[in-house]
Amino acid sequence: MKKVSIFLVLTCLLLGCGLTNYIPPVTSQMATTRKGQHVDLAMLREGRTLFAHRCIECHTLPVLWHYSTQDWPEIVNSMSHRASLKPAEREAIVAYILAVRSADRGR
Amino acid sequence: MRTALRVAILVAAILPAFSLFGGARHFTFLYEANTSAAGSLELENWVTSQHASRLGRFDQVDFRHELEYGVTDKFQASIYLADWFYETDPEHSGFTYSDTAIELIYNLTNPVVDPVGLSIYGELRAGDRLIELESKLIAQKNFGPLILVYNATLESVWEGNDLSEREGELQQALGASYEISPRISVGIELLHECVFPDWRDAERIRNVFVGPNASYRHGNWFVTVTALAQATDTNDEADFQVRTIFGIGL
Repeated sequence: MKKVSIFLVLTCLLLGCGLTNYIPPVTSQMATTRKGQHVDLAMLREGRTLFAHRCIECHTLPVLWHYSTQDWPEIVNSMSHRASLKPAEREAIVAYILAVRSADRGR
Repeated sequence: MRTALRVAILVAAILPAFSLFGGARHFTFLYEANTSAAGSLELENWVTSQHASRLGRFDQVDFRHELEYGVTDKFQASIYLADWFYETDPEHSGFTYSDTAIELIYNLTNPVVDPVGLSIYGELRAGDRLIELESKLIAQKNFGPLILVYNATLESVWEGNDLSEREGELQQALGASYEISPRISVGIELLHECVFPDWRDAERIRNVFVGPNASYRHGNWFVTVTALAQATDTNDEADFQVRTIFGIGL
């Protein structure tokens, strides 16, 4: 019984940690919710892929809601050189993050 | 001497073409599943200090100098320019060149978006009295600020004057690292080794090492340190070992 309890507690902790940096898949809703502007879905998908692959080379993924929409472009920009991001890749990551935030706010 | 100078000039001419960072390590005895970005180049210096105080008493410091290059976003290649060590034991002490090595890692899945991040790894070490082949399966899962890593490694070693001494090793390693801030992580590493001298298990050599690690990264450099203690009772293995990796983007 004790082992089962420990297992359940650990599982809940891992799931809890996992949910904090959940990066949602791109939906069509995200393409239209950013200040009423239309964002290319392919760009958002590329942004998600880059966010998941490049950023974890140095650190775990941050919680998207920890920083404001004004902060994100500067945050990504400040690390783009060491993450080997080209300008278009940097824009795609920022677009994805802002689209996720907008879509979440729109619910 | 002239050749060395030419090589130095060539390297100095080529390096400014790259100025990208390959990424930071959270572990020193384990590998993570993610690979360096395409085009990135990084220099990693490894220092491993080992101390054994039992029957086969020795102190040894190993040095490795690795140039790591991202060939594509999923494939990275490294060259270990020179692996060398300094040893002191009751009979002698001094520096010895060991080998030069190449290492290839291919990333299959991502540890964040896929159920588990997987990579495969191959390394060839060759020196005067050593040939070693190492293959590895790397599994990783990121749970928010927590990184869990598992490595399964199979090593084949041929060493000695005529490479007549053979040895196999199966190693499993587990690691956990928790990111306190984007710059600092702390964690734990656990190694379990099964050593097969002459590819036989007559001696039933099993070694377990466990200990904490810490990592700090800033700008285009990082440093990660792990201190391991032997939890088994093998005489000719180190009681304690400390590994430091300092990496810098070139």
